[in-house]
Amino acid sequence: MNWLRLISIASLLLLLVPVFILLYYGLGPFRDAAGYSAEVFRSIELTLFSSALAVVVDFILFTPLAFYLARGNDRVAETLVDIPISVPHPIIGVALLIVDSPVTPTGKFLLGLHINFYNSILGLVAALVIMSAPIYVKSMLPYFESKDPSPEEFATGMGASKLRTLFSIVLPNSFDGLASSSLVSMSRALSEFGSISIIAFYVLQYPFYGVSPASVTIYEFFSGNMSGGLNAAVTASAVMILVAIPITLAGHFLRRRTSR
Amino acid sequence: MIEAKVRAHLGEFQLNVELRGEGVTCLAGKNGSGKSTLLRVLAGFLPVDEGNVLVGGTNISNCSAEKRGIILVTPASCFPHLRVDSHIMWGANLKKLRPSDEYVSRVKSGLGIDFAGTVGNLSRGMRQRVSLATALLSSPRAILVDEAFLGLHDREAFIRAYGTLAKEAGVDVIFTSQDEEDGRLGDHLYVMNDGVAAPKY
Repeated sequence: MNWLRLISIASLLLLLVPVFILLYYGLGPFRDAAGYSAEVFRSIELTLFSSALAVVVDFILFTPLAFYLARGNDRVAETLVDIPISVPHPIIGVALLIVDSPVTPTGKFLLGLHINFYNSILGLVAALVIMSAPIYVKSMLPYFESKDPSPEEFATGMGASKLRTLFSIVLPNSFDGLASSSLVSMSRALSEFGSISIIAFYVLQYPFYGVSPASVTIYEFFSGNMSGGLNAAVTASAVMILVAIPITLAGHFLRRRTSR
Repeated sequence: MIEAKVRAHLGEFQLNVELRGEGVTCLAGKNGSGKSTLLRVLAGFLPVDEGNVLVGGTNISNCSAEKRGIILVTPASCFPHLRVDSHIMWGANLKKLRPSDEYVSRVKSGLGIDFAGTVGNLSRGMRQRVSLATALLSSPRAILVDEAFLGLHDREAFIRAYGTLAKEAGVDVIFTSQDEEDGRLGDHLYVMNDGVAAPKY
């Protein structure tokens, strides 16, 4: 008998129990129409939109960092990347509030440029970027490390800078790694609650005026602030799981394929 | 001419080399003798403890790999997403060089590049031809060929043709081999053993 396999399957099932229970009760005995109402789908739309936008920012701003860490052997920077996800997530929401507060110099500056984080799509995306970027970087890092540096060194010998090499040579040959890391970090953004419940409980901009992110909407059902209560919270959670699972699975499938 | 007098500690391995290469130089030695390490030191990808590397009399020891004008070509030195014609002009375009069509055609025919397509879809030997042509057309000071001549069906003729084209362009070439007999394909032969390069001729 393969005990390692048995123990592994048991521990995996332990992890998946909450998901299966939510799916069972949310789509079965506890099903509540409020949990799949137009309001819930609007909040899922907002979550998908803001998470996708956060991943685009992750790609633009943090791909160079991941490449630098993979080739630069900078252990301090590698450790610092983990900080945003190693602190309680509401702290990031509070930090963004302070950064953009009218009583702080940074806030005065940003508000002077009409940049407002509070209850805005910008604030929502900023929080999601901070929470998903470490996952993106940590996913791209081993991918870049596993790539043979010969083409980069070849380009460097011809006089190309590191940045030029990254954009002209490495990235055009890294579609699989970029796609899998983007999907993995998007999964992380979809699941965020702590920071966005502070900085963007709902957003006040077109086309999502008054819409809350999905995780906040589920909390609102649960806390009784939205009609539907626990049953609607469980149903909305099941719907959200059905939306998020394909993205998570696609990311991990692509990652497995690229690591072969 | 490439002149190097370098000492380097790389883990347990010690490199202690004095080398003068002009034209085409063969660096022969067994696996683990330090051939690739030496080429990576010359190209600026590995640090040295002491010593200097000179190319054409200019000391490039403190130059980054990007500024040395020395190209390291290995069997994996290619850009798979590019088509052959874009690939061979990549380095030249980067340096804003405009080699004549006639010269480009001569390099292509001399190196047996009579094929097209996306580089990633080519055979290993075809990719090596394309990479070596790319290096030559970018007019470097020197080209270091680490195993990239291996596996070519017309290897000896190719090395001779490559050497001729490189000399015409004023580019020094150092290539590695596990067979000392390959020294006859170049102007100079060094044999490496345990990180030390001994000149034969």
